[in-house]
Amino acid sequence: MFFPKEMMEIELIVPAKYLLAVTKVLSGHGVFHQADSSYPSLGSGNTWQESAAGYAGLERRIQVIMQALSIDEGQPQANKEFETMGDLDVIRSAVEGMEDEVKQATDQRIAEKKRLEQLESTLHQLQPVADIDLDISSMRNSRYLFSMLGQIPAANVERLQTSLARVPNVFLTLRSDISKPVVWLAGTQANADVLERAARSAYLSPLSLPEEYHGTPAKIIAALQTTIESTNRKIADLELTLAQIGKTRIEQLRALLWDVHASRVMAEAIVRFGQLRYTYVVTGWVQSDDMESLTQRLKTASKEILIETLPTTRSGFNSNVPVAMQNSKFLKPFQMLVNTYSRPRYGELDPTWFIVFMFPFLFGAMFGDIGQGLVLTLLGYLMASKKVKSLSGLSGLGGVVALCGASATLFGFLYGSIFGFEEDVHIFGMKLEPLWISPIHHIMDVLMVAVGAGVVLLILAYLIGIFNYTVSKERGHLLFGHNGIAGFVLYLSLLGFGGASFGVLPVSPTVFLALAILAGVGVLFSEVFIHLVEGHRPLIDGGIGTYLIQAGVELFEVIISMLSNTLSYVRVGAFAVAHGGLSQAIFILAKLAGGGEDGGFGYWITLILGNLFIIGFEGLIVGIQTMRLSYYEFFSKFFTGGGMRFEPLTLKPVQEE
Amino acid sequence: MAASGVSGYAAISARVRAMYSALLSPQEMARLSDSPDFQSLLAQLKPTIYGSYIEELKEKELTPRRVVFQIKGRLAAVYDSVIHMAPEHTRPLLTQLYRYFEVENLKAVLRGIVTDPTWDRVRDVLFPYGSMSVLPLQAMVEAGNVSAAVELLRGTVYEETLSFAMKRYSAEQNLFPLEVALDLNYWRKLWQETKRLPSKDQQQALRVVGSLIDMNNLMWAIRYRVYHELSEEELINYTLPFGYHLRDDDIRSIAAGADIASVVQRVYPGIPDLNILLEEPRSGLPLLELQLKQNLMRQCMAAFVGDPFHIGIPLAYLVLCELEIQDMTVLLEAMFSRVSEEKYRPYLLKTALVKA
Repeated sequence: MFFPKEMMEIELIVPAKYLLAVTKVLSGHGVFHQADSSYPSLGSGNTWQESAAGYAGLERRIQVIMQALSIDEGQPQANKEFETMGDLDVIRSAVEGMEDEVKQATDQRIAEKKRLEQLESTLHQLQPVADIDLDISSMRNSRYLFSMLGQIPAANVERLQTSLARVPNVFLTLRSDISKPVVWLAGTQANADVLERAARSAYLSPLSLPEEYHGTPAKIIAALQTTIESTNRKIADLELTLAQIGKTRIEQLRALLWDVHASRVMAEAIVRFGQLRYTYVVTGWVQSDDMESLTQRLKTASKEILIETLPTTRSGFNSNVPVAMQNSKFLKPFQMLVNTYSRPRYGELDPTWFIVFMFPFLFGAMFGDIGQGLVLTLLGYLMASKKVKSLSGLSGLGGVVALCGASATLFGFLYGSIFGFEEDVHIFGMKLEPLWISPIHHIMDVLMVAVGAGVVLLILAYLIGIFNYTVSKERGHLLFGHNGIAGFVLYLSLLGFGGASFGVLPVSPTVFLALAILAGVGVLFSEVFIHLVEGHRPLIDGGIGTYLIQAGVELFEVIISMLSNTLSYVRVGAFAVAHGGLSQAIFILAKLAGGGEDGGFGYWITLILGNLFIIGFEGLIVGIQTMRLSYYEFFSKFFTGGGMRFEPLTLKPVQEE
Repeated sequence: MAASGVSGYAAISARVRAMYSALLSPQEMARLSDSPDFQSLLAQLKPTIYGSYIEELKEKELTPRRVVFQIKGRLAAVYDSVIHMAPEHTRPLLTQLYRYFEVENLKAVLRGIVTDPTWDRVRDVLFPYGSMSVLPLQAMVEAGNVSAAVELLRGTVYEETLSFAMKRYSAEQNLFPLEVALDLNYWRKLWQETKRLPSKDQQQALRVVGSLIDMNNLMWAIRYRVYHELSEEELINYTLPFGYHLRDDDIRSIAAGADIASVVQRVYPGIPDLNILLEEPRSGLPLLELQLKQNLMRQCMAAFVGDPFHIGIPLAYLVLCELEIQDMTVLLEAMFSRVSEEKYRPYLLKTALVKA
């Protein structure tokens, strides 16, 4: 439950005649994570590589056709078995046939879209001069006047003006777009060459008006708009044609795509097998639970197959062991939060369970309000249940939002707050009183408790870190690491020193100071000690002077970060106070809107909008702060991550974790 | 609030100083240039910071082009590390500075398409930019022509810049307008990012970034006049109106035909024998550029003196790393082609700096 699923390493020796049958078993059930065993290889790996490339190319071409026809990939039939690998030549000719059918319409559509783009660009450039009553073509053929209308990169406008400082000219910005302003440059024909070179070097792209457009800008704009309309109609017709082709071909294309996909997966798997003279070597990883069923299936597929399995220990760095998380569906949203930071390594404690409790706890403490918490819970439920279509995209976060809302409700009871009301509130005839404390009225108490909670969480984080080092048998880091025993003792002794200095602890501060110095020396020379314990040589990389400077700064950083990590939890209390303060501000605004009275339409509307603002805006900020406390203050003490995802071979599309 | 001052720069400053000490000293560079041949040079490079990058190559891959590609990997790693360590408000500037190599890659790909559109050949001259770039360079080369390649840049930061330049390319069938547009856009953005920094950081960043801009802008102006014989207006449009010591008036004077030496003398009073250098531009301009680079190198080294809590130190270090790799490239190419010592030595920035 607290570690990723147990894995077994598997090595197979497969006789060549059973190659396809075994590959089908390995890739057909989504249980085998393949490792590359293609080196050294004696046989015809290139043939399989060519086949894999052939299938991949055809798969891409089918996808392009489907994209052109606006067909999604769909799913393979539920009971579909991919018995054999498709014949490349047969598939190729089928794909070519469909490409020919689609090509004419798609080519025409691309050409029309390009034309539309050009027409719109021309229109965009002409619109600023629409009011000028002058034949544009007369400017083009002017005898004495040089004139250029066009677009230029915004960054070049000023430079172009600078460059023309010594040449008589008129330069106007007709349309001040952020990226592509429309400008007009004019001068005498005698300076045409200079002006043209200057404009070109400033990347002024002149308006190129096709010959068929002439007359005043207004007349050309009208003609352009007519052409744009007819081009849009042409595009719509072509899209209709493509949609009709898509309707008749949809089933055939999807079936073909999944056949080719399965063949490609199998061919790519074989490329990564090690090929000997008559046999193939296959290595990979299987979850222990699936081992027995896979072994049986393999033996059914090939009686002569040799199967060797090796259990995997959780000690060591284990970066090559794939990681499959074993959390229930309920925990998936929190697992997503953990994976966003990093995936745990195989030998590392999965922190999802801690986050399940800690994340809503911190959120609720910062956002304690019964009413607003219940709204969030309802929102989370709607997100998770996918009952509201517009929220279904956020279903993955639904569980987190709902639990955070529930926690905020609980803290709302502790703080005695409902939709910001804290005084003279009656629920079902009972007066609402804080079960614990009202943050806005006991600011210092709340801040102190928040720091205290932070200390507890950090101690927990150090203990998990020590546990992780113990499990992975990294003795050097366990004893001397910044987050190992030396770091932990340093943190405790600094806390103790602070406590004793203020008279909270009945022990002399000197005792803690001595402990802190001892642990500090351990941290200062941690690299040396770790190298010593783990047998790495040389003990110091680079010179002693460089090491001491670096280690000294690092120790300084460690101590500063201990202090800042602890004080960082003040924000929990500060946000609880700010929440009360923001509610009070909303009440003042509501009273103003209600004409100085606690009631009336303006009062209640402002109150509702204010509460929605708090739920949306403050809720988001508190969510971000909670994530920050979890990731940077908590995780950084024990969670290394960097685990490789368990990606079993499968012939069908897989659901994302 | 963004971390700045001591808290923001303590760690990065210490680490950059530690990395700074791993740069090759002028004496080490001199020793490398004393190597009798290419193989000995590689052997001498093994114990240096570049050793681990070269070791990744197999024996038959040890050509100057491949080795240079590998050691550029060091610069990519340095950029990656510095950008991640830097205070958040300075990252846009550092990322933009790093984008120089992305722009160079883009230019190399466009040149490759025109001259020899095979990915295997183009790949070796690219900078190993890593995951910070999302440009489809291989697909661009495989597209086979410039228009199709530029189409692939839709949705990237280069789309808008190239949309205007492509109209000129279509008419002129020359990469020059595309390259100039990319360059101008890059340096303008770099300047904008510098100007967005708070005053202390901005002041320090200008020393490095401004000096880089001065050097490039001046060399463009001189080359456009001497080699390309562009008109005054074109020259102004193809250069930048800002800089550290170089003013727009200087660029406009060069464009208007003023004496180049006197302009350079005003901006860089310490450069000796300017008139001699500019007498024969074909041989003189590379040497002038070398002097400007040495000047830049001095500016960067000066950033390490005094208050260490500003962005100037990381910026200066990045530029110094790049200049060192330029030196290494000269050395590797020269040794492999067996160019005589007196021909390539003047082009080694570090050793020349010691002599100066």
